[in-house]
Amino acid sequence: MTLKETVDQTDLAAPSPQQEALGLTPGQAALKRARHHLGLQLGLGMLLVMGVFALLAPWLAPHDPYLQNLSLRLLPPAWADGGQWQHVLGTDHLGRDYLSRIIYGARISMMIGLGAATIGALIGVTLGIIAGYFGGWLDQAVNFLVTCQLAVPSLLLIMALVFVIGQSITVVIFVIGATHWVFYLVVTRAATLRIRELDFVAAAGAMGASRWQIAVKEILPNLVNQIMVIFTLEVAVAILNEATLSFLGLGVPSPIPSWGLMIAEGKTAMFFQPWLVILPGIALFVLVIAINLLGDGVRDVTVTNRRS
Amino acid sequence: MLNYVMRRALLALLVALTVSFGTFALFYFATDPAQTIAGEDAPQEMVEAIRVQYGFDRPITVQYVDWLGGVLQGDFGQSYFWKQPVVALIREHAKVTLLLAFSALAVTILIALPLGISAALRPNSWVDRFALSTAVSAQAIPNFWLGLMLIILFAVTFPIFPVSGDSSWRHYVLPALVLGASSVPAVMRLTRTGLLDVMGSDYIRTARAKGFTGYRLIVRQALRNALLPIVSVLAVQLGNKLGGSIVTESVFSMNGLGRLAVESIFNSDIPTVQSLILLFVLTFVLLTLAADLINAWLDPRIRMG
Amino acid sequence: MAIRCPVRVVTFLISALAAALWPATAAAGPDDDTLVVAFSKALTTVDRLYSIQREGLILSRLTDDGLFYVDPDTLEFEPLAAASYEWVDDTRLDVTLREGIRFHDGSPLTADDVVYTFQWVLNEDSDTSRGAVIRGWLERVEKTGPLSVRFTLNMPYPMALRDLAISIPLRKGGTYDEDHDDGRPLNGIGPYRVTRFSAGREIVLERFEDYYADSPKADPAIRNMVFRVIPDEGTQQAELLSGGIDLMMDVPPDVADNVSALPGVARLEGNDIRIGYLTLDAAGYSGPDSPMTDLKVRQAINHAIDREAITRYLVRGSARAIPYACHPRQFGCDSDGPRYPYDPEKAKRLLAEAGYPNGFSFKLWAYREKIIAEAIVNNLEAVGLDVDLRFVKLNVFSKVRNEHRMEAFFASYGSGGTPDASASTGVHFAANSSRNYSGDAALSRTVLAAERTIDPEQRRRLYRQALDRIAEQAYWVPLFSYSQNYLLTPALSLPVPDDGVPRLWQATWRP
Repeated sequence: MTLKETVDQTDLAAPSPQQEALGLTPGQAALKRARHHLGLQLGLGMLLVMGVFALLAPWLAPHDPYLQNLSLRLLPPAWADGGQWQHVLGTDHLGRDYLSRIIYGARISMMIGLGAATIGALIGVTLGIIAGYFGGWLDQAVNFLVTCQLAVPSLLLIMALVFVIGQSITVVIFVIGATHWVFYLVVTRAATLRIRELDFVAAAGAMGASRWQIAVKEILPNLVNQIMVIFTLEVAVAILNEATLSFLGLGVPSPIPSWGLMIAEGKTAMFFQPWLVILPGIALFVLVIAINLLGDGVRDVTVTNRRS
Repeated sequence: MLNYVMRRALLALLVALTVSFGTFALFYFATDPAQTIAGEDAPQEMVEAIRVQYGFDRPITVQYVDWLGGVLQGDFGQSYFWKQPVVALIREHAKVTLLLAFSALAVTILIALPLGISAALRPNSWVDRFALSTAVSAQAIPNFWLGLMLIILFAVTFPIFPVSGDSSWRHYVLPALVLGASSVPAVMRLTRTGLLDVMGSDYIRTARAKGFTGYRLIVRQALRNALLPIVSVLAVQLGNKLGGSIVTESVFSMNGLGRLAVESIFNSDIPTVQSLILLFVLTFVLLTLAADLINAWLDPRIRMG
Repeated sequence: MAIRCPVRVVTFLISALAAALWPATAAAGPDDDTLVVAFSKALTTVDRLYSIQREGLILSRLTDDGLFYVDPDTLEFEPLAAASYEWVDDTRLDVTLREGIRFHDGSPLTADDVVYTFQWVLNEDSDTSRGAVIRGWLERVEKTGPLSVRFTLNMPYPMALRDLAISIPLRKGGTYDEDHDDGRPLNGIGPYRVTRFSAGREIVLERFEDYYADSPKADPAIRNMVFRVIPDEGTQQAELLSGGIDLMMDVPPDVADNVSALPGVARLEGNDIRIGYLTLDAAGYSGPDSPMTDLKVRQAINHAIDREAITRYLVRGSARAIPYACHPRQFGCDSDGPRYPYDPEKAKRLLAEAGYPNGFSFKLWAYREKIIAEAIVNNLEAVGLDVDLRFVKLNVFSKVRNEHRMEAFFASYGSGGTPDASASTGVHFAANSSRNYSGDAALSRTVLAAERTIDPEQRRRLYRQALDRIAEQAYWVPLFSYSQNYLLTPALSLPVPDDGVPRLWQATWRP
């Protein structure tokens, strides 16, 4: 619902009076505000650290996350009785190093989050521009799609799709993306409707540009800020969705180290080997909160909003 | 108004049909319900016999029209897996989900409203910051994981509430907490901004000028006007709870509609999946309709104020 | 972070968990002579004629008797409701019933009831779950006296007694008539009668005091039994610890290890006729150019898998690695065919010889025991193969398998608890079986011949021939036999079954 709020609060109006008074361009003003935004800096910092882990996983992870050692199954973390410093966070039910799997898990989560949000953005923005710019029956058709999309609990729909199509990272990315585009669409459509009336589009029309060209060249650039905010927050939503799906057994397939899947696999032993469930959950929480802080921050500094 | 409602109903019907045919086709092409019904070790002859007996060998359109015809006559079919009428199955499971959804809604209201209100009363104070950081955190906690953590916690430190099942009111406490928590950020933020907006509006200023002050003013005037739109949001949230119950019921092993949906997908129990989706779509449409009507009814009042 | 988890903490944790649980609906245990058993899956019916679930089999052995039964000690098929039997020739079987057998409603069992039962099963419209199988060999059943019947087979069928023992409980004449309703969930002749059946929740049984005294199952010790449906494993554990249930079956080994370390829980380990295996697409169904059509590739895969380690660390208990396509406990499971010990170097060599020095990619399908499937994948990747594990639900699995689209699959088979190779080797290599990916017509003829042969020695020879062929051609990777873990309250004594199906009428309370 942060998303909904974003959608409600974003306003495409020109620079705020403050900015004009200070004589700053919108970009400079945003940067200035960013420097004083604690949440944004915190989120960005946490995200950078996790991003480094994700990118440099092959060098940072102490072991191969897929390497099994059946004789070292279910080792507790190093500081507990029976733990070994060789496996700082212990091992799972196939004797794979848990720390390495968690580090690689960051990769999987980020990949799916970014991938799904991108696909959602592509679908939403395209449909939004089409609906807003061309109107008429196209607008009606898009509206029907939105209603279909909203009427079914998205988790149920995603589960059914993944179940039927088959589990793989690509399928998960596409299915989550394909069910999370409504917010992009709402923003884009509304903005397109308003921009369409503005002068510069009329001018472009007069100069003989095709409608489609107008849509892409003139309308899109004006939406970048808002779409960026929605994108960030949708990344977080997609990551949580993937974890939930994998937890229910319909996400990415084993042996890929997805945090949700790791929690699911640890669940049967949760009272006896609780670290199997606790650790990936913490990783998930930290990543998602970092992204949300970043998203909220970006919204606060770039998009003019009514409260401040 | 009647016209509007009719149009919405027609749209809902169209949506339901589209979605249900989509699901039907998906399952038809990818799964073999005969094997699920027969069981893992069933001999070939048995699986074939079941395929013919249930009519799975017929073309998809015939099967779909057959099912749809039944639905139009109020017959939602037999569950392949449970071998009992889907309607009875849904009635049996609906109790758990409804109870869960409403108690979760209560949890949301009990947490989100006080937080949102106190945050709005003192913007930028520590209360406000606390409320906002609660919202940010609650949004980042995976729902199912929160459930598991509560299970571990309540199994060890506070053995007060049972951690799975649905046979007494105490079984609903933890699941309602988990499911309710998921809506807290949204409702909390909405309460806060809504209240801030109303308090900044002309009529509150007028009231203030007329000499109403302090707590009573807020309770009497601002709150009423700010909270009414939230009611419509809560209606939508209630719909979300139905979807959210899929995860919560799985984590806490409750025999509700969400879990029935998951298991029916796993068993390719198409009549059950179909009917549940119809039910979910219908519920959603009704709830959003209710929300819209509330909004429509509120609008003039707000303008009058 | 409270991550230390030695036994002390766990003990506290679990007892707290137990205390946290709502008191069980009915107190379990010796005090009120009620044995409460957890079922993971709900039974949709208590009528064995209409279910083939394992839970149904366990229950049916309490509520129903067939003409024959599986002797728990020898696993042979012995008379139960039958007093005696005689093969007149290869296709005619005479059976005499015991005297004094009563149904739960008090009426006596007669030859008419037996004839009714089988006529019902033979009737295509009855849609019983085993009807198609029985119709495959049984021609008709006639009454030859007040307590005697004759079975006429349409072909020699050595497993007739098995089917009579495992699949067909006796029913009162008229049970399935349209207007029949005696208000009972089930009218059987077994040592326990069903007093309440609530689908998806519980089944309540009471000892049947008029049970015939000369039955091998006579005089069960425990008076009441309750089967509670508890799908969630964690809940089952907690219920066991809090005394809500007395017996958990089919417990995964890790859980059994963890829970049985706690006080107040006993653990039993027993055999199971179930075996695990990989099937390789030797026939080239998934594609004529599939690498699996190459014998060297199939041999390489056999050598690549460390079945000993998988058995020791993951299956555990009394599980054993198996070399051939049958359970060692089954009749006819003898072979001199080649064995394929774990030898990754040799596997790599064989792959190179087959023209795949850098391996190849393929999909491995599986629907149960994901951990084991993952360990297998790990083994295969270690010799340079690129494996895409497709772990799916059974209904998807069987769709793809039946359409012959798999290159390789990991599956298991319980043989319906039958200690005879016909139930494993026979089922998997029959010509019309969707499980058969060998494409070997001669092999199918061999197993079919074995299925039509009465003479035990001749049958043994035929199965040996089939198993030799399967091993030579490496159609399968036979993996391991399963082990069954039971967790129970220490007050309960239960003989460990050899085929993984508990005989609960043998349960007693420890003094």
